[in-house]
Amino acid sequence: MAALESPPPGTPSAMRHAFGNVLSVLILVLIGVLAFSIRLFSVIKYESVIHEFDPYFNYRVTQFLSKNGIYEFWNWFDDRTWYPLGRVIGGTVYPGLTLTAGTIWWVVNSLNIPLSVETVCVFTAPVFSAFASWATYFLTKEVKGSGAGLAAAALLAMVPSYISRSVAGSYDNEAVAIFALIFTFYLYIKTLNTGSLFYATLNAIAYFYMVCSWGGYTFIINLIPMHVLLCIVTGRYSPRLYIAYAPLVVLGTLLAALVPVVGFNAVLTSEHFASFLVFIIIHVVALVYYIKGLLSPKMFKVAVTLVVSVGLVVCVIAVGILVALVASSPTGGWSGRSLSLLDPTYASKYIPIIASVSEHQPPTWPSYFMDINVLAFLVPAGIIACFSPLSDASSFVVLYIVMSVYFSGVMVRLMLVLAPAACIMSGIALSQAFDVFTASIKYHLSGSSNSTNDAEDNNSTNNAPKDDASASKADKSEETAKERPSKKGKKKEREHVVDKPSVKSKTVKKALVLPLEASIVALLLLIMLGAFYVIHCVWAAAEAYSAPSIVLTSQSRDGLHVFDDFRESYAWLSHNTDVDDKVASWWDYGYQTTAMANRTVIVDNNTWNNTHIATVGTAMSSPEKAAWEIFNSLDVKYVLVVFGGLIGYPSDDINKFLWMVRIGGGVFPHIKEADYLRDGQYRIDSEATPTMLNSLMYKLSYYRFVETDGKGFDRVRRTEIGKKHFKLTHFEEVFTSHHWMVRLYKLKPQKNRIRGKAKKLKSKTSSGSSSKSAKKNPWI
Amino acid sequence: MAVNTKLLSLLFLIATVSASFSDSDSDSDLINELVSLRSTSESGVIHLDDHGISKFLISPSTPRPYSILVFFDATQLHSKTELRLKELRREFGIVSASFLANNNGSDTTKLFFCEIEFSQAQSSFQRFGVNALPHVRLVNPSISNLRDESGSMDQSDFSRLAESMAEFVEQRTKLTVGPIQRPPLLSKPQIGVIVAMIVIATPFIIKRILKGETLIHDRRLWLSGAIFVYFFSVAGTMHNIIRKMPMFLQDRNDPNKLVFFYQGSGMQLGAEGFAVGFLYTVVGLLLAFVTNVLVKVKNLTAQRLVMLVALFVSFWAVKKVVYLDNWKTGYAIHPYWPSNWR
Repeated sequence: MAALESPPPGTPSAMRHAFGNVLSVLILVLIGVLAFSIRLFSVIKYESVIHEFDPYFNYRVTQFLSKNGIYEFWNWFDDRTWYPLGRVIGGTVYPGLTLTAGTIWWVVNSLNIPLSVETVCVFTAPVFSAFASWATYFLTKEVKGSGAGLAAAALLAMVPSYISRSVAGSYDNEAVAIFALIFTFYLYIKTLNTGSLFYATLNAIAYFYMVCSWGGYTFIINLIPMHVLLCIVTGRYSPRLYIAYAPLVVLGTLLAALVPVVGFNAVLTSEHFASFLVFIIIHVVALVYYIKGLLSPKMFKVAVTLVVSVGLVVCVIAVGILVALVASSPTGGWSGRSLSLLDPTYASKYIPIIASVSEHQPPTWPSYFMDINVLAFLVPAGIIACFSPLSDASSFVVLYIVMSVYFSGVMVRLMLVLAPAACIMSGIALSQAFDVFTASIKYHLSGSSNSTNDAEDNNSTNNAPKDDASASKADKSEETAKERPSKKGKKKEREHVVDKPSVKSKTVKKALVLPLEASIVALLLLIMLGAFYVIHCVWAAAEAYSAPSIVLTSQSRDGLHVFDDFRESYAWLSHNTDVDDKVASWWDYGYQTTAMANRTVIVDNNTWNNTHIATVGTAMSSPEKAAWEIFNSLDVKYVLVVFGGLIGYPSDDINKFLWMVRIGGGVFPHIKEADYLRDGQYRIDSEATPTMLNSLMYKLSYYRFVETDGKGFDRVRRTEIGKKHFKLTHFEEVFTSHHWMVRLYKLKPQKNRIRGKAKKLKSKTSSGSSSKSAKKNPWI
Repeated sequence: MAVNTKLLSLLFLIATVSASFSDSDSDSDLINELVSLRSTSESGVIHLDDHGISKFLISPSTPRPYSILVFFDATQLHSKTELRLKELRREFGIVSASFLANNNGSDTTKLFFCEIEFSQAQSSFQRFGVNALPHVRLVNPSISNLRDESGSMDQSDFSRLAESMAEFVEQRTKLTVGPIQRPPLLSKPQIGVIVAMIVIATPFIIKRILKGETLIHDRRLWLSGAIFVYFFSVAGTMHNIIRKMPMFLQDRNDPNKLVFFYQGSGMQLGAEGFAVGFLYTVVGLLLAFVTNVLVKVKNLTAQRLVMLVALFVSFWAVKKVVYLDNWKTGYAIHPYWPSNWR
């Protein structure tokens, strides 16, 4: 496991060392099992299904990939969505997740293990969480030794923030991206510690995988340059730093440009400019150090002024070019989301669409408690531990936590990036605390520090069942003590800062103890804190984050109710409609309709074309006839609405209706939000405005609703509906699911021209008295 | 010319003032006077007192040839930050300056921006019937009764400061204010000086960095900075800044009582965030203190005492946060024991 310089074989310390290594492998395996199994609550409580919305798209893409192969996938033009525009899938998705799951499926199947694509997709996220916790172990081990590594890995295995994005079935980019993120950071630190070009190359490849997987890769390409700059500014430049950084920028950028969705953005957008700027700076600094080595101190002083001035000129030119490039684009080359990270008030002022998404809200303090729980208490101790002593690696994790905690404060969604950092820090803090307390107890129990071997072994075995993390604490102290000289051998010119405390701690170690009983109490409290964390995480995994939202359940007095209306209606669609029929719905349900019903949709969750979405929003907000005309012009055969009024499902289309009106009105000004509001209030009862009551969405949602209970009481809005008895003229109901959650309507066929003529004739003769009955069905 | 009967005391003055002008001439005279007054102030906001109000608003017969937008100010209330009088007054000036900068020609004489100050114009405040600030009132040419509140700005018109004020003006007067022109944070000579200073200072800074003796080489600075950012973020301060949350609220039922903690997880108050952020941070700091500093102390009793205090405080802090979280979010976090244990 740990590549340590082991002492000569045969000695008791070598035995203990081997035992420690075996134990840590065992613990790592257990951590992997824990990370995998804690995410299975969704499968146990519900079933093995893909969750929510975006994962359905990823699933569909993976299906296509596994059926048609990589080249077809790369060139895939999808005509099932955004009708009549279509979408180029291969060039607009981050392919990392799909390729990963596709590869797993291919490997498993070529081993004659017949797993379906869906099963592979469902379990990709849990498997990668196990990988992520192992990556955390390696990263933390590079920073503070394997004891801290094991603690951090155990914490990451069950951190709620990460669980929320990686339960079984949540088949989304973040599932693999967090692993890629941590692994890239590990390889960077590894390169920084070893100065090996091999790891630098691996680092670039890991970065490539991250770029393939998630748009969050910009975090890496900004954080690492910042760290490099920090090292340079604080006088920590070394050739290892150069090797860790320069190949990453060159190879990484070249590789990133290979991903179609990134392409030339990798060199053209401002998010990447920081890395190029630091790339220039590090070369200037490297040159300075090189000349310093060549010349005598006096000559160097002369040279330094020369080099600095030349360097300055180069920098000024580069900055000038950058500024000119940036200034030529309207947002300064930064995307809106990145800008709102830099200036948190930006989005709320200028981009309501970004500000309105709930994931982009700034979190309040309970979010931290919910998502990283007791780690929030331990992080400051971890930060301080990283400063004593401060190394290149520990300064990197400090920078990582500071950046991510700030970003998470701006956008609740970035809590996901904070979680690994918080786990690493807390692992370091816990490990250090356990170190100090157990060492004090050992010291007091044995009387002298020399014959502590037995106590130590006892200690580690006793602790093992209590807490994975604590088990390894005992052997951590000497492991790090061993590791430091070994590291020192590898990097000769390592700064003396690191060496001094380790030497000191060896000599002064005996005196560094705390009182026995206080240590025992503190240890117990720490274990209690860990236990509380475990309880919280299991609760969060079981209750808060495992609902697939495609199947709903509710617990009532007479038992468990399952609402499977979505799949019921998608199945109806796929069995009862023609393959080429077009289904219109609000964009939320686009991915699910294409994936589960295999029918063409007008808009979906990839909201790339605002006009198209506005068209659908306008149709939904218009009266029946106008809506029919819009839908007919788009070749729509069926309209799907989601309605929660019968069972009280709050995220239904009526509650989203104002967004349809707003987005529709943004492009088609005849739709005005004020027409749908009574005195600024959104209501659907008898006080509702006529525009509201005549809108297609209202009619399709509440058609025949009064027949259910006789009064038409809406259980979401908690009121009786305004217009109860009405007929549809241009649409006919074809399907309503068991709990009325999904309602499907068919557009009535276009009226026959002959009928119009006949009607005219008729109205001429009988002055329209019987026109009403004729309107209903002219053929009877 | 319908003069309020309560203003009999001023009738004499008004009568003399109005009598001294004949109608058409007086209009252009008044406008000229307003224009000249306006040119004396930097942002174009005319400072009026009781005399000016009666001269420009009360004496001329309706319809007047101009509208007047009056900002009601009170120096004695500037200390009350929640009224935001100073800020609004500054924004008012910006609207005025933008109006002047974007319009030239006849439109500029149709609208004048004025302010009156409470201590200098108490009777005008009465005359307008203004008892609460902030208050901005547009006096249309046709308004004869100054107590007519139809021209006053709502809270919503202040909300986006100059932009919303300009919208209000545009809606009511049918004049265009045009894009708001805020003065740049730094004027051009200032920017020049700063750039020059930076250019001059760079070689020195680089020299010091190479020597390694700047503030940035001080580890404690980085440490405290990191801890501070952490505290700042977990306290949800960004939320408070973006949402402009107050530090505390007043209880609706009992105005003397202050509410520091808000129930419901979507929102938090400023003081609440800092309190919990402090609790989050203090535990880790104590732990670090015990493991890094206290171990070096030789005196056993001192160690014991400090550790007891630290443990007690940490325990209390964690307990408090757990309690507050359960109270605020309403979650009931529970363990899953094997069923035969119950």
